[in-house]
Amino acid sequence: MEINDQASGERKLQCSDVSKCFQLLESILDGEMGETGKEQMKEKLAKCQPCFEHYHLEQAIREMLKTKCTKQPVPTELANSIRQMIQESK
Amino acid sequence: MSEVQRRKYSQEEKTSIFDGEFMPHIDSMYNFAFRLTFDEDDAKDLVQDTYMKAFRFINSFEQGTNAKAWLFRILKNSFINEYRKKSKQPAKVDYQEVETFYNSDDVDYQSTSDLRAESVKDMLGDEISNALNALAVDFRTVIILADLEGFTYEEMAKILDIPIGTVRSRLHRARNLLKEQLKGYAQSMGYNTDEEEEG
Repeated sequence: MEINDQASGERKLQCSDVSKCFQLLESILDGEMGETGKEQMKEKLAKCQPCFEHYHLEQAIREMLKTKCTKQPVPTELANSIRQMIQESK
Repeated sequence: MSEVQRRKYSQEEKTSIFDGEFMPHIDSMYNFAFRLTFDEDDAKDLVQDTYMKAFRFINSFEQGTNAKAWLFRILKNSFINEYRKKSKQPAKVDYQEVETFYNSDDVDYQSTSDLRAESVKDMLGDEISNALNALAVDFRTVIILADLEGFTYEEMAKILDIPIGTVRSRLHRARNLLKEQLKGYAQSMGYNTDEEEEG
């Protein structure tokens, strides 16, 4: 996360510390860094191509996980059988 | 049960907490249980056991605090203590082993940098689900908690009994492993993941 010395409007193609940057980017995406994190991210994405690509990849994967991995059909009798077990245990 | 309890709820209060704060999470609980056990019957038993325990120990639940995180913690502990041993799924690689291998931070970037957002968006089948299921249980768990259920790092730390720093780094490694899996699918779909441009 160094200060970019290239002209603005152009993203640098190499990130000097990807591991640290990506982990930070993921924390920001997870909402762990508050408003300052969002500002920091905006700045990073404007300046750094690897961070920019990583951001979009992360977003795409999260979107997919949410839409494809959360709809396991729950057995219809499950809720009732739980209530029944509770009743019996009282 | 002779455990020390800070308060006592009346029967009406218990029922109201159980129905109003615990039962609404049954879908998320079952999804989590199924992704841990890969078996419908085991998942059902695990959720049932969790709710039974939740009811039995309801006096140690503080009303107004995060019921979902409290329930997930019980479910995760039940899984570790009971189901993991008898799980029909053959044992996956242990987290400790994987952790050592992926401890070098540079390794993961090189191997995942060529997976592109576009190829992920084009995966219309079960690729993402299969990729998630292929992860060792400790990695799978943090992705489920963070990305499927939206828990904060602090909540995850409590559910898993690990420090927040460990949540952050385990999640980062889990996501790298997931990308590694997805990269394999992208390649088999015919995406040339090694080149920047096509045509």
